[in-house]
Amino acid sequence: MQQRAVRLKLENVSKSFLDRDGKGHVQAVDHISLDIYSGEFLTLLGPSGCGKTTTLRLIAGFEHPTTGRILLDGEDITGQPPNKRDMALVFQNYALFPHMTVYHNVAYGLETRQMPRPQIQAKVAEVLKLIGLEGLDKRRPNQLSGGQQQRVALARSLVMEPRILLFDEPLSNLDAKLRVQMRSEIHRLQRRLGITSIYVTHDQLEAMALSDRIVVMNQGAIEQVGTPEEIYRFPTSRFVADFIGRANFIDRVPYQLVDDDRAEISLLGRKLVVPVRFPLRAGQHVTAMLRPEALVLREDASLMQVTIDEAMYLGSEVEYVVTFDQQRLVIVQQDPRISRIFKEGQTVGLDFLAEAVHLLPDQTVV
Amino acid sequence: MITVRNSGQRYAAKYLNALLKDPLLSIAIIVSVMFVLITIVLPLVAMVGESVSESGRPLFQQYLSSPVYQTIIANTLVLGVLVGMVGTVIGFLFAFVQVKLNVPFKRAIHIIALVPVISPPFAVATAAIVLFGRNGTITRGILGVRYDIYGLDGLVLVMTLSFFTIAYLNLRGMMEALDPALDEAATNLGANKWRIFRTVTLPMLLPGLASSFLLLFVEAIADLGNPLVMGGNYEVLAARIYVTIIGLYETTGAAVLSVILLVPSLTVFLIQRYWINRISVVSVTGKPSGTPQSIDHPLVKWTLYGAVLLICGLIVLIYGTIIHGAFVQVPGVRWDWTFANFDFVINGIGSQAMRDTTTLSALATPIAGLLGMIIAYLVVRKEFWGRNALDFGTMLGIAVPGTIIGIGYILVFNTPIGIGDLTLIPKLTGGQGIFGGALAIVLVFVIRSVPAALRTGSAALSQIDPSIEEASISLGADNARTFRRITLPLIRPAFLAGLIYAFARSMTTISAIVFLTTPQTKIMTAQILNEVENGRYGNAFAYCVILIAIVMAAIGVLYFVVGAQTGAERRLEGGR
Ligand SMILES: Nc1ncnc2c1ncn2[C@@H]1O[C@H](COP(=O)(O)OP(=O)(O)OP(=O)(O)O)[C@@H](O)[C@H]1O
Ligand SMILES: [Mg+2]
Repeated sequence: MQQRAVRLKLENVSKSFLDRDGKGHVQAVDHISLDIYSGEFLTLLGPSGCGKTTTLRLIAGFEHPTTGRILLDGEDITGQPPNKRDMALVFQNYALFPHMTVYHNVAYGLETRQMPRPQIQAKVAEVLKLIGLEGLDKRRPNQLSGGQQQRVALARSLVMEPRILLFDEPLSNLDAKLRVQMRSEIHRLQRRLGITSIYVTHDQLEAMALSDRIVVMNQGAIEQVGTPEEIYRFPTSRFVADFIGRANFIDRVPYQLVDDDRAEISLLGRKLVVPVRFPLRAGQHVTAMLRPEALVLREDASLMQVTIDEAMYLGSEVEYVVTFDQQRLVIVQQDPRISRIFKEGQTVGLDFLAEAVHLLPDQTVV
Repeated sequence: MITVRNSGQRYAAKYLNALLKDPLLSIAIIVSVMFVLITIVLPLVAMVGESVSESGRPLFQQYLSSPVYQTIIANTLVLGVLVGMVGTVIGFLFAFVQVKLNVPFKRAIHIIALVPVISPPFAVATAAIVLFGRNGTITRGILGVRYDIYGLDGLVLVMTLSFFTIAYLNLRGMMEALDPALDEAATNLGANKWRIFRTVTLPMLLPGLASSFLLLFVEAIADLGNPLVMGGNYEVLAARIYVTIIGLYETTGAAVLSVILLVPSLTVFLIQRYWINRISVVSVTGKPSGTPQSIDHPLVKWTLYGAVLLICGLIVLIYGTIIHGAFVQVPGVRWDWTFANFDFVINGIGSQAMRDTTTLSALATPIAGLLGMIIAYLVVRKEFWGRNALDFGTMLGIAVPGTIIGIGYILVFNTPIGIGDLTLIPKLTGGQGIFGGALAIVLVFVIRSVPAALRTGSAALSQIDPSIEEASISLGADNARTFRRITLPLIRPAFLAGLIYAFARSMTTISAIVFLTTPQTKIMTAQILNEVENGRYGNAFAYCVILIAIVMAAIGVLYFVVGAQTGAERRLEGGR
């Protein structure tokens, strides 16, 4: 990744809006700095209202940053109007032109560039084929299904061969099944065409499935940037751990530093040495994070014994809730065919995968 | 109106920056603002200035303390209130029948209700005189009574019939937007229909009723044509202003009276703008769910229906009289069939007026329509300093009574405006004005029509997701191309409505241009007024018929040219 060229650079970018009542300000984007590499698929992920859309619109040029600069291939484009930026935005509601056919929707941008007619026709045909819309070019948007409309929106942007493709929650209007299908379609196309893409979503599964890197945002600021695996396995904050997937937090875990980047902790009745990924000060407690699938229930008298409060059979997995040391823990047992399914009220042993333990700064002490 | 914000300067710099980056957008804004300033604000300011000049100020004192003028002012307000109330009731009746009753001929009733919109101002009044006047065909001929229609009763009758359509369309839109689920919810809670009407429907419609009343009130106090023909001894401000200028050549006196008339007009405009809109609970944009329940109670149903049919009958009778009267020698007196009226109008005095009026209206129509859409686009979609002020200033074009606009034009544009030797705006009004005063007339046509186009345009725009336009920009199109290729086609129905309104309004307007016609530029409505005042009703009716025919033909042409090309409106539905 690092050796690739930086395509887009955000330098200390913020955006504040006036309140609806015109009094105060809303800091929608709070001093963000970020490099996006050529050919990369980057996702902005975060809860509603965290500033994802605003960031995307700043990049597209529909909003003007309050502070900071935006550079495209090294050129400062902060003041450039959106139609001059070589980017194409795919909208959440598709924003197809309702009075134009599929063909004219897709050709619109090329016509704007005053490309010769035959060339436009060839390019439109090519992209419609690529995206599986052959034969629909004479239809109007309201004669298409939601999934097809989404494809047209995508085709309309792809045909421009922009330097950056921008997506704002493009799949959120589709039903669950179609969403998964379009997700892999976008994945396939992006990998094949290698277009630098910035994708906004609040769906963490979508982000994980598509992205080279994920930017987790919270209240206008970046919480963490990393590959899906890094974000999932080594979240740097409780917010990220909680937002991406599900997590059990065991607070106030005592520790002892073994060396600079390892510590010995005692967790759920076991003593173990785990890596430390943030600077620790002596005398503190830490919080240990365990994903539900890292916890294991086994009938083993040598282990800590817990009672099962809830058991939910979900087909591909079983989900248990147990209470340990006044703490609710969620445990997911994959592949219930092999392991035994326990019943509510049953008492079993609780174990965990040591290599899955991840330490976070203890946020319970002030 | 300009909202100055906390960090005003920084924003100002930023906006300025953004405007400079898009020169076409800046030009559109500057042109719109300049246009509104010069053609609407400047005449108003001049008129107010004249009224508070050395010679004007004493007149205020004099008029306001004179019993004659006090009566005139009171007359004006009483007329406004009565027309407002009766017109709103009739409009409501028509809307109710359309939305809530399951009865035959609804389509025909709708069309009959629309007819008054395209008729010239004196048509209804003159026909009413022929039918119900001292020698009225019905009052004298059939009933054998000697009824004096001139005065308040006649004015309320003809004005109500002329203006109730506004209330009808306003209320109908609102009633259709009422969510039937509310009715159903109330029914579920055990309320009967009358109770639902009282406790749910009526309160929801209250802003609509209030706004209809106010619209009619303003129309009534601003109207000049009907009081001139029908007023008799019942004098109102608009007519007095007319007499003060035409008869007494007292421009300053007219300006003072205009300011007095302006007070209730502007008050209502401000109430509309800042209060009614705020208390409106019905969102006309919302898609209602379910079907409205119809009222089945036979007594209620047939009483209301009967009343509406009666009014329809009256309208048909009046327009029948107009058409019939155009083909007889002396309507109401000698009913011999003749083409002399048409001959007199078409080949005589009217030939130039028909050509002039139609040409000038046809010139004003596209300007008004396009300007309305552009201002709507700027106001709804763009952020710039003075955005609200632009909207406000444009709306003044119709909020202000036409007579006042006319006087303002005489005051401002009767002499060239310039700095030193440099003429910025040449003399526009009067026979020596450029194009024989025609430019001033076109400008008045435009400013009287732009507000309606602006309203329909901004209503249509706010229904279109801005991301559709952003998509166009994101694909490399600039603002101008986006407006031309995306926005305008999508608001085509509003554009068409704006054009039709502009043409019909221009062809039928009298109050604003009555002071601006010149020997070189003849206007049909002014000539109709002349024929009516001289008792030549046959000619007047022939004129009205021709005028209505021209308007209808133009509507047909507009539908053909603007409506038929892509019919984007029909495809809006699924495209979102
Ligand atoms: N034009 C605007 N004027 C004022 N405030 C705005 C404007 N646009 C966004 N905001 C505010 O900025 C914040 C961030 O909004 P943004 O749309 O970027 O969030 P988001 O992460 O995209 O949320 P979602 O997932 O709900 O789409 C919110 O508090 C929002 O209310
Ligand atoms: Mg968003």
